[in-house]
Amino acid sequence: MKYLFQILWKDQSRAHLIWAVIGTLAGFVLLLSGIQFYENMNKILKANQDLLDPEFIIINKKVNIGRTLGLGSSGFSEAEIKEIAEQPFSERVAPFISNEFPISAFTRSKQFPNFYTELFFEAVPDEFIDVKSPEWGWKEGMDFIPVILPQDYLNLYNFGFAQSQGLPQIPKEMISMVQFQVMLKGQNEKVSYKGKIIGFSNRINSILVPYDFLTWANKRFGYLEKTEASRVIMVSKDPTDPAIIQFIEDKGYDTIRERLKSSRLNIILKFVLSFLVLIAGIIIGLALLIFMLSLQLMISRSSEKIRRLSKLGYHYTEISLPYIIILFLLLAVVTLLSLVSSAILAGKLTHMASQWKLELASGLSATVYAVAFGLISLLFLLNSVSILLSTRKLCKN
Amino acid sequence: MIFRLEKLIPLPMLEVRTSGSSIWEADSFIFAQGEKYLVEAASGKGKTSLLSIMYGLRKDYRGTLYIDDTASSTLRPRDWSNLRKQKISYIFQGLELFDDLSARDNILLKNKITGFKTQGQISEMAEMLGVDMFLHKKSGILSFGQRQRIAIIRALCQPFEFLFADECFSHIDKSNSQIAMELISSECQKQNAGLILTSLGNSEHNLKMRVSI
Repeated sequence: MKYLFQILWKDQSRAHLIWAVIGTLAGFVLLLSGIQFYENMNKILKANQDLLDPEFIIINKKVNIGRTLGLGSSGFSEAEIKEIAEQPFSERVAPFISNEFPISAFTRSKQFPNFYTELFFEAVPDEFIDVKSPEWGWKEGMDFIPVILPQDYLNLYNFGFAQSQGLPQIPKEMISMVQFQVMLKGQNEKVSYKGKIIGFSNRINSILVPYDFLTWANKRFGYLEKTEASRVIMVSKDPTDPAIIQFIEDKGYDTIRERLKSSRLNIILKFVLSFLVLIAGIIIGLALLIFMLSLQLMISRSSEKIRRLSKLGYHYTEISLPYIIILFLLLAVVTLLSLVSSAILAGKLTHMASQWKLELASGLSATVYAVAFGLISLLFLLNSVSILLSTRKLCKN
Repeated sequence: MIFRLEKLIPLPMLEVRTSGSSIWEADSFIFAQGEKYLVEAASGKGKTSLLSIMYGLRKDYRGTLYIDDTASSTLRPRDWSNLRKQKISYIFQGLELFDDLSARDNILLKNKITGFKTQGQISEMAEMLGVDMFLHKKSGILSFGQRQRIAIIRALCQPFEFLFADECFSHIDKSNSQIAMELISSECQKQNAGLILTSLGNSEHNLKMRVSI
């Protein structure tokens, strides 16, 4: 083997091999750190989805002139709700139900100034509601109705209206102490219930009452025309799934975009990654070409020597071995360097992320290792076959 | 091992007058193991072509060559490689040494894949042929005669049933070629091998089978 190296490595230009190594290295670093970056970002998105609470997505139809004028329905039909439910990203779907009779609320209290207002109620099944309270719930025969208001309403009053009008700010607890009367007006009857605000929802922008109550009340008092649900609430298995936002956009629906930030971020990420993979693929493809051509050049430069070795009884596999060993060493160097530099890049990223208070795993993921070794093996295999074929051809003639 | 040539003729020889040739004109010609053949002819009569065909280097011929009843055209690279390592040794007219390697490394290049001779035996042979002091030199700077002797030693560093010696004494002086011939003969004897020696026709070696080509 020592002699074979001496014979076949002599007079070879090494420059093109170095370029082949640099090219492959560049492609690999780009590809591997790209994959690592994507995985890290994905992890962040997944980890933060609880914070953002985006797995509950409320979908409504866009309000436009056509709908204002009564062309087209602004509600969701049964079929449309079914379609949403059938999407791969949706786990559970429920339409909002609303009151089909007039409601009013008023106070008669010595401590508080009296007020009177017309009102609407909506309801969704309990599992979609973020306020957990023992007071929530309703059974037939109860004359107490718990109500949930959006947190935004309270904020609007406390930080907008109250301050500008010189009124006192009201803490949540105080509001919960206020009891008021709720009047339900059926066609022939009026029934009064006690109502109390028991919590504020960050998730649903509506005046909520228990689902059981509203379905019961609609049955008993309802006489207005039944309208289609104007909003639908959906639970998604993976709110980072870019298909959600795609679906909503394709259908001309609307949602609170903030909630789908991670989904949109994911689209951008996927786009960037696929671009990166494309570039890396081209670079690695070119590097493979340079590798093959370099080795072919080395072999054809040594063609006389290879023929001579064949005359001495060397089999073409024995003659190919030095080339394959060189190839192996070069690719091993490429693998090592690209893994090390990708790890350094990923480490830098982790460091930066920690300054932004983001939790990033340091080190490379298993996917990165798998891709690296898979690709290197492929490069090794293709080049080895090409080496064997060309030495075999030389030895045959 | 037996070589049997059935109406064998290299394609270039078709354009040359071959009358009187006991090989190219024969319907069948046999080289048998253990025998010594002197193939004598002037240049261009196809001596090297014959050896090249029998060594599997050339395929441009008409007719059939049988090696132990196997048509040589059916042999694969692996078979030829094994024949060249174990059964046929060839002292090439063009020597086929690697100029960049030392004379010793050139010999070892062969001996490494056969493991046939010890370093001591190699030195001994080199001493006999008077090239032991050149073994460490690059073969490229040696004279043709010296390199011829290195090539002879290299060819003896393997087991063989046939030895092809293609004008291997052309640049060696009379006494040295006598010694070389004795060395070759004794190696052939030891291995009960056949010898095919080619010469331009002025050979002084006394071999039993003289073949004119």
